[in-house]
Amino acid sequence: MTVQRPLASRRHRADDIGAVQELYHSKGWTDGLPIVPPTEAAVRACLDWAVMDPDQLVGIEPVRELAITAEKLAINAVMAGCLPMHFPVVVAAWQAMLKDEFLLHGISSSTGGCAVLVVLNGPIRLEIGASGTFNALGNSDRATSVIGRSIRLALINLMDVRPGSIDRSTLGHPGKFSYCVAEDEEDMTWEPLSVVRGVPEGLSAVTVFAAMAPRQVMNEWSTDPKDILETFAAEMRANQLHYSIYGGNYTIVIPKQLRDHLQAAGWTKRTIAEFLHERARVRRGEWANVGKGAVVRDRADKVFPALGSPDDLLVVAAGGPAGGFGAVIAPWMGSKTRAVTVAIGACVDCEPPKPATPAIN
Amino acid sequence: MTFDVLDPTNEKQVEATGLAPRLATFKGKTIGIVTNEKEGTKGYFRHLDRLMREELGVKDVVWRAKANYSAPVGAAIVEEMARWDAIVTGIGD
Repeated sequence: MTVQRPLASRRHRADDIGAVQELYHSKGWTDGLPIVPPTEAAVRACLDWAVMDPDQLVGIEPVRELAITAEKLAINAVMAGCLPMHFPVVVAAWQAMLKDEFLLHGISSSTGGCAVLVVLNGPIRLEIGASGTFNALGNSDRATSVIGRSIRLALINLMDVRPGSIDRSTLGHPGKFSYCVAEDEEDMTWEPLSVVRGVPEGLSAVTVFAAMAPRQVMNEWSTDPKDILETFAAEMRANQLHYSIYGGNYTIVIPKQLRDHLQAAGWTKRTIAEFLHERARVRRGEWANVGKGAVVRDRADKVFPALGSPDDLLVVAAGGPAGGFGAVIAPWMGSKTRAVTVAIGACVDCEPPKPATPAIN
Repeated sequence: MTFDVLDPTNEKQVEATGLAPRLATFKGKTIGIVTNEKEGTKGYFRHLDRLMREELGVKDVVWRAKANYSAPVGAAIVEEMARWDAIVTGIGD
C-alpha cells in the first residue's frame, strides 16, 4: 500500500457552490470568471495522473525566488477547469516559463501587457482533444481553453500577478484569460513547431511565448507564396512601427487555405522564415511616418529586422479550413524574452548522460 | 452541499526587510541612480542629479543603467551599491 503525501495547502469550508465562488472571488483568487472548486480529490487526481508528489518542485521563479510546486499548480489547474489528463501540459508549460530566458517576472509585470501563449505539439493533442482547426486562436476546444486559463490563474495566485499588483499592464489583451493553441499536425506536410525547435519527433511538447494579441491578416487574392508572405511581412513591419521596432521571436499562424498554397509550392517552415527574415524589416526613419519622429534622432537609416535570424520565427499551422486569413503574433518586447520549448514529461534540469568510462587495460 | 476547498496561493510569507536608516544629510554623500533608461526617466533623473548636487550638497552622483529594463539589476552594480550612501531607483517609464 502506498502512502500518500499530505497536501500542504490551507483548507477552506464553503456551504455550497455559490459560497465557493464568492470566497474565491472575494479573496482575489480568480480571473473574474467562476472556478471549479479545488477539492482534495480533484487536486490529487491531477497529481496522480502526472505521477507527481504534492511538494514536487516544478521550478523556482528566478527573480523573487518563488517556489512553484506541483500541488499549487494542480489547485489552480482544477480551478481553471482542467481534467487530470490536462495537468502534464500545465506542468510542462510552467517548466518552460521558469527558464531564465523566458524572463517570467518581466513579461508578467510589464506595462506592455502580454500574455503567455502556449503552443501544443505531439500526440498529447489528440489524447486531450486539443483542436488546431476551427477558431484555433479562440475558444476552439475544452483542452486549450482550460490549459491556457490555468496558466493565468497560477500566475495570479502563485506570483501575485494581479492587475495593479505585480501585473502593471496598461491594457493587457483577451489572451490573458486563456491563450493556447494546438498545431494542426494531421493536416500539414511541415515539421511540427516542437521538432523545428529541437524536440525529437513523436514526443509531445509545449512552446511558451510572451505574446501580444493576434493581428489577423487576409490575402485571398493570390496563390503565390511570395504574395501571401508579403502580407505577413507587412503586418510584422506595421507592428515594428506601431508597437516595438526591436526584433525577437514572432509567431505566425497559417490556416489551411493559405498553408495549402505554400505547401503545394514546396515552401517549408524554414523557407518561410528565411523569406520573412529578409522582408520584415524597417528603417528607424520610418518612425517619423507614424508619429515617432522624436526618437529617430541620427539613426534614420539604421535597419531593424523583425527577426534577428530565421530561427526566431515560430510558424504554427492552425486554423479552420476556409478563409484566406492568417495571424501575426508579436513578441512582448523584442528579444528581452525568448520562446521556450520543452518536451512534456521530460526532466528539464537533468544533466546530459555522462559518457561511458573508458575501459582501463 | 458543503465544500472543503484548497488555498490556491503560494502561502509563503515574504520576509519583510526594514527600511534603510535615513541619511541625516545629503551633504558630502555619494548617491547612486540606477536607471532602466526608459525615455521618461532621462529628464527626471537629470533634474534630480542637478538638484542633489546644487541644492543638497551631494558630493557625487553615480549613474548606472540596468542591462535589461525588465530584469533585475546586474551583480556588478549590486556590488557597487555597497559603496554608495543612498540609491534612487524604480522610477520612470
